[in-house]
Amino acid sequence: MINSRERINRRVGRISFTGLLVFLVLYSLPLEIIAETKGSQEMPSVMVLNPAAELWRDVRQREGSNIGISQVRGVDSGVLINANGDRWRKFRMEQLIPIGGSILVGVFILLGIFYMLRGKVPIEGGPSDRKLFRYTTYERMIHWFVASLFLFLAISGLILLFGRPVLIPLMGKEAFSVLASACKEGHNLMGPLFLVAVVLIFIRFVRRNIYQRGDLSWLLRGGGIIGTKHVPSNFFNMGEKSMFWLLILVGSLIIASGLVLVFPLFGQGREWMELAHVAHALGALLMIVVIMGHIYIGSVGMEGALEGITTGYCDLNWAKEHHDHWATEVIERGEDLSNEAVERLRRSEPPGGVKLHLQEHGK
Amino acid sequence: MIGEFIDGPLWTFALTVFVIGVIWRIASILMSGVRNDLAVPKGSAGNGAFRAIFSRFVPERTVTKRGKLQLIAGYAFHLGLFALLFFAQPHIDFFAQRITGFSWPAMPYWAFIVSAELAFAGLIFLWLYRLLNPVTRLLSDLDDHVGAILVFVVMLSGCLALAQSFEVLRLLHLLLAELLLLYFPFSKLMHAFTFVMSRGYTGATMGRKGVNA
Repeated sequence: MINSRERINRRVGRISFTGLLVFLVLYSLPLEIIAETKGSQEMPSVMVLNPAAELWRDVRQREGSNIGISQVRGVDSGVLINANGDRWRKFRMEQLIPIGGSILVGVFILLGIFYMLRGKVPIEGGPSDRKLFRYTTYERMIHWFVASLFLFLAISGLILLFGRPVLIPLMGKEAFSVLASACKEGHNLMGPLFLVAVVLIFIRFVRRNIYQRGDLSWLLRGGGIIGTKHVPSNFFNMGEKSMFWLLILVGSLIIASGLVLVFPLFGQGREWMELAHVAHALGALLMIVVIMGHIYIGSVGMEGALEGITTGYCDLNWAKEHHDHWATEVIERGEDLSNEAVERLRRSEPPGGVKLHLQEHGK
Repeated sequence: MIGEFIDGPLWTFALTVFVIGVIWRIASILMSGVRNDLAVPKGSAGNGAFRAIFSRFVPERTVTKRGKLQLIAGYAFHLGLFALLFFAQPHIDFFAQRITGFSWPAMPYWAFIVSAELAFAGLIFLWLYRLLNPVTRLLSDLDDHVGAILVFVVMLSGCLALAQSFEVLRLLHLLLAELLLLYFPFSKLMHAFTFVMSRGYTGATMGRKGVNA
């Protein structure tokens, strides 16, 4: 018979043993971890072959193009790890962003230096007292439509592309995440409107932008920017025509790649999306650089260049100096107007355009 | 703190000003009365008013011919905005929670995108026309531009908040919508309500005279 004292002693013994065991285990665990960590810091690393390396190599599909089988139905659902994604990410982070950013900043600085050297190109004969009708209301509308959309898309796109390295240090991650979300939604929504704008621009201006005799000589003489001599040109000069075709062709690339990115509904996989992203970014950067030059000439670079697209009428001397073939034709038709007449017409322009104005005013 | 103010008291205040302001404007027009016409009526004023209210949705042939762009842009903007305001899922949820207590079917996402594209394109075109056409530029005053800009920024902020991931974007949209509600009754934006009375009055006058106009 075991008496009660012995039972108590055995129970105390079991509890003590269990407690000691728990204490030792709990005490030894962190020590083991610390020891291991210390050991790993102090001892030279030992290459341990990953027994699953073969498996992951197959999963990444670096050495083969076989796609796995999945119960999930969908594009790329059989691809567990997209190896090209890493290549795309590296290109974006290590080439596109630093090189693209350097080009944009470089062009901006170059324009600044050019302005300091050349200044605002004046109308040599000074502003005239006569004007020529250059753009209808509709033409100016579609110009500013595409311009406003382009500016919005360019700014929101640049924020999305360069925001991480440029804006996060300035505004912090939380504020940038809000801005990036807003830019992404706005960019995606306004993007398809750019397609409409480019189509309208193309339909309206294509006839006047077909290359013709004299355009090449304009190009060979640098459009008159280099040197002081004026170079004859038509309604649009070679530079403007080239910008038009760049807008149509590169704009189409930007639009097509943008639609691939925004509407992933047509079976395009991740590789197509990566390709579309690269094409979209490169095309957009090229267009932004070209438009920077366009804005420079239209604003601070040249006297009288902006007037035509804001009021519809341009100065006669400006037209003679920059688009003299066209100016000569207009003058020969007797369609040049005095500044006073233009002021009157601008107050009562009917939809028929300049011909109707001229009929009404007996010319 | 500011968020709570925008979401709570400011919303209540803006909605109250909007409702009272619109009722006050409409009542003042209705109570101004019409000149007593002693001539013997040659037709029904009611029929004329009814006909004018609806027939004016289809423009005259000359208007269609000369103002094609304004016509297309005008319809694109108004229909797009109407669809966005009353049939976008986030708006329906908001109305059901704050005003009506019940909801109604929302348009699908693709229709939302199409409506937004139409509304934006229409508004930008109409505003550019207002700025660039000499006649509309001279006819326009500050009210026209403020109204257009307010509607534009409300639409834009709504679209920027489309992901519904950030409270600050929703609050920005709500704040701008509240400013629009406060501005609405005292501006030409009232045409959203007064077009019925304007057309009806003209139609009734013409109908009474027996003129089919």
